[in-house]
Amino acid sequence: MPNADDIVVVDRVSKEFVLHHNRVDSLKGRFVGLFHRRHRPRREHFLALSDVSFSLARGEAIGLLGRNGSGKSTLLQIVAGILKPSSGTIATRGRVAPLIELGVGFHPELTGEENIYLNASLYGFRNREIRQRVRAIVEFSELAHFIDIPVKNYSSGMYMRLGFSIAVHLEPDVMLADEILAVGDATFQEKCRDRIAHLRRNGMGIVLVSHSEDQVRSICDSFIRLDGGRVVESGRLGSTPRAHALGGGI
Amino acid sequence: MATYAHAPLAPTAKARGLKGLAAYSDMLANFVRKDIQVRYQGAALGFLWSLINPAVMIGLYIFVFSDVFRSTQPHYPLYLMAGILHWNLFSQITGQSCDTLIANAGLVKKIYFPRLLVPISSVLFNVVLWLLAIVLLFALYPFIGGQAHWTLLAYPFALILFLAFTFGVTLILSVLNVLFRDLKHLIDVALLFLFWVTPIVYQFHRIPPHLREIFALSPLVEYILIFRGILYSGHLPSIHIMGAALLWTAATLGVGLFVFHRHADNLVERL
Repeated sequence: MPNADDIVVVDRVSKEFVLHHNRVDSLKGRFVGLFHRRHRPRREHFLALSDVSFSLARGEAIGLLGRNGSGKSTLLQIVAGILKPSSGTIATRGRVAPLIELGVGFHPELTGEENIYLNASLYGFRNREIRQRVRAIVEFSELAHFIDIPVKNYSSGMYMRLGFSIAVHLEPDVMLADEILAVGDATFQEKCRDRIAHLRRNGMGIVLVSHSEDQVRSICDSFIRLDGGRVVESGRLGSTPRAHALGGGI
Repeated sequence: MATYAHAPLAPTAKARGLKGLAAYSDMLANFVRKDIQVRYQGAALGFLWSLINPAVMIGLYIFVFSDVFRSTQPHYPLYLMAGILHWNLFSQITGQSCDTLIANAGLVKKIYFPRLLVPISSVLFNVVLWLLAIVLLFALYPFIGGQAHWTLLAYPFALILFLAFTFGVTLILSVLNVLFRDLKHLIDVALLFLFWVTPIVYQFHRIPPHLREIFALSPLVEYILIFRGILYSGHLPSIHIMGAALLWTAATLGVGLFVFHRHADNLVERL
């Protein structure tokens, strides 16, 4: 039952995809399909998630374990609001920021600073709110010297650092991550972990998709394991103190 | 945390979707600015490039219709421009905005934001480019035979209605274009066809009398007659024409919004 402290509540969520074999997305194809049986599209219904429930409280982290194709990423997309569940409900409190792919929406021709505005506004930030954070973002990313050149000239590491810095400065209430919780070299990764630990102490929750049980064990308070879209195992990882879990920076 | 920690637990997409649309106004501004910046970067004349295409087109039509076909229409350049600039607005928006969902697929599949913002930002981008041309028309207005009629006051309303109509068409096309990727080619052909069955470069009364009623059913014909009435002849067309344009606008916008809302969430899976 929903708890006052919950920031994500996923309740009996199922997601059915329609697989389009011989998918026809052209008018020409439709026309050909009238005459050639072989080219006619077939539809198959595929249950990517079946009756999945979990909840996440402030400051907690939950790990989603499972093999490829078990539905983890679909679940993450549903929590992010990108996909609609076929049945069941999903509720979140506050701002949900995906750390799934860094620098989504960056335009290569724009400078780092212009991309900060572009990217942050995609999450519903007003430009004046972004202006207050630009300095902190730039400082965190250690890109002050490069912030006024187009990001097409960035190395992939610089690109990731900028994307990460924006994501962790949006003050999300829920962070959705796909294995990556830190980018850059060892020193920078340390800084990433510190920042995330800091955000967690302030109440941010994390939904972490991972293949690695060790990673989940070291970071999360609870986990669910998916197989074929169903929850096959779930439980708490109470034995590990959270502070220690996040890189020991606390 | 800071601002949203005490917000109620809400269904994910909905809460931020409709109510939050206003919060995204800066995103629209950033998007339009980005598109303009990227399109004209490095060009010394920048923005002015957007004028070259219409200027050449208008010049050619003036030559062909006043010098080759010897049109007797007084102030033909104004007559032509009143029609063609609004046609350009329609054709550019529908021609370019319909595949914005596909062009922005990477974004739409990775971040949640109200999907309606994608077509809106594309329409706004085209409107901004077009504004330069219409400002120029008004600057030239007194010199090419334009009179200061009271009907000019109706122009902003007509323009808003026309944009609403165009937006409705764009919404319908952008949904259809995801389902049928080759629709773009058909749209290009349809636009060419529509250009010539709309009295833009020629006069409405040149259309054979038995066909006029049929032509007048086209919303584009109605809007061109309205704009020409306002900017050229100084009197509004008949109430039937204006009523028909209004009905078309309400219908297209209604159907467009309905179709888009209905399909926006599922479209993500097909992008």
